[in-house]
Amino acid sequence: MLSNFLEALYHKVIVNIVIKRSSCDVYIEMCSKKALINSEMKSFDTTILNESMLEFIASYTKESPYSYLSILDMSPDQGAIPTCTKNRLPLYKDLASYEFKCLEENWTYYTSKSDLYEIEKVYKQVGVDFIFSPFTLLYKFFEDKVKSSFALFILVQDSFVSLSIFEDSLLVYAEHLDMETSIDDELLSQVMDDDEIELEESGGINLEEVDVIDDMEDLEDFGDIEDLDSLEEIDEFSQSQDIEEEFYEADEPIIESDDDSFNEDYQRFSLIQTSLGHYYKDKRYESQFVENVYIADGVGVSSDLKRYLEEEMFLNVYIRHLDIAMEVCALAKEELGL
Amino acid sequence: MIYSYITPKKKSIFTQEVQLLLSFFTITIVMLLMTYSFLVFKNYSFTQEKKSLSTQKVELEKSLLIMKDKIAYIEKQKMLSETIYTQNIVLKDSISNLFDLVPLRITLSEAQLLKNGLILYGITPNKDIYNFMLQAPLRSIFHRTYSSFYPAKDGWFRFVSTNYTDNEEELDNDE
Repeated sequence: MLSNFLEALYHKVIVNIVIKRSSCDVYIEMCSKKALINSEMKSFDTTILNESMLEFIASYTKESPYSYLSILDMSPDQGAIPTCTKNRLPLYKDLASYEFKCLEENWTYYTSKSDLYEIEKVYKQVGVDFIFSPFTLLYKFFEDKVKSSFALFILVQDSFVSLSIFEDSLLVYAEHLDMETSIDDELLSQVMDDDEIELEESGGINLEEVDVIDDMEDLEDFGDIEDLDSLEEIDEFSQSQDIEEEFYEADEPIIESDDDSFNEDYQRFSLIQTSLGHYYKDKRYESQFVENVYIADGVGVSSDLKRYLEEEMFLNVYIRHLDIAMEVCALAKEELGL
Repeated sequence: MIYSYITPKKKSIFTQEVQLLLSFFTITIVMLLMTYSFLVFKNYSFTQEKKSLSTQKVELEKSLLIMKDKIAYIEKQKMLSETIYTQNIVLKDSISNLFDLVPLRITLSEAQLLKNGLILYGITPNKDIYNFMLQAPLRSIFHRTYSSFYPAKDGWFRFVSTNYTDNEEELDNDE
């Protein structure tokens, strides 16, 4: 009673930190129970908590004892599982060394305990109050779509891609993809797959041993694309364009690609493609054909990613821009009941 | 917690600065309250003392009046005692003078001193001794003198001498 009264006397300061590849965004909101009073966004060219960042945070936190610090979990070792039942969890992941939470008694998101401790240790000086999973952020951001459709939802961050498939608010599949390590893994797996091609001592390739028939089959599959050019598909495509126009995309122009963004978007596309492949192949998941993709764009993806997904995977792509720090702030506010 | 992996730390308005400020204000308020209490107590004490002193004053005034009465009474007593003393001295002198008046040959058996007179009982060898030696001085002192004799068995005379002094006022009235 008294604490509630005292709490009402002060504004709440919510500090949100989003760590990027080589920089860090700090978004601070000062709000009362009813309204936003002040907000400021500042980027720092560092990924660790330095003096200037501490000073910036302290300039707001010293104004109110009710200051909260929230962070989006950037650890690579995290994910989500489409069940909350304890005896079914090990089917997907051994969560002994993971911190996990069940959302809406439906699906579970998890992260490595050591990474959580690491975050708490790094931000010990200011004290972390909330650590959010990108999957919850994605779920909240697309809450309207998640509850009414079967689609692939992707959160595109600077160096991570969080991918999840929801069907009427039930999680079907999820994967958190680290762009750097995944690319390395992919290259490694490609090398491992190519071990059928034995290199001779001279370093040349024995072309006779190369299985040409497999490649030909792939090419035939590729030839099936022509089948998609039927009238029905064209109609569907035109309908989806209508929906797309209803969706925000029309207001927010997609950034034209340059070389760096082209590479990054291609990496993202590859990761999405691989991950969808896992979804289709893995028998643990009841795979359905994904038609729609909703992308929460936190970095400003170029038109290439959309084009790849549409042309290569025949998906209807809807892109909605978001400021990750602001969304993290929204989650923190929801936690605080503001 | 709905979404977060961790629970937020308990927030309190009592930061170190607030605690310092509160302790400062608390000490100040306590000191003010103590001063106020002390002043209230002192005020009460003074009021009580004032009441007590005024009561004492009234009592002292009463006792002073009583003392004044007592003093007046004692002064009266003193005056009376002095008067009595003086009278006694006068009486003593009178008695001494009286006994000096009585000659050796006359024996007094009883003497009654009255307010304005003297009655003497005694034995005289004869009437002449009495008349010349006692009655003459008595007549010079008192205004009225009466003597009566009756013979005793041995030939002497018992006598009763009644002497009165008339007051000047009575005399004035008579006149």
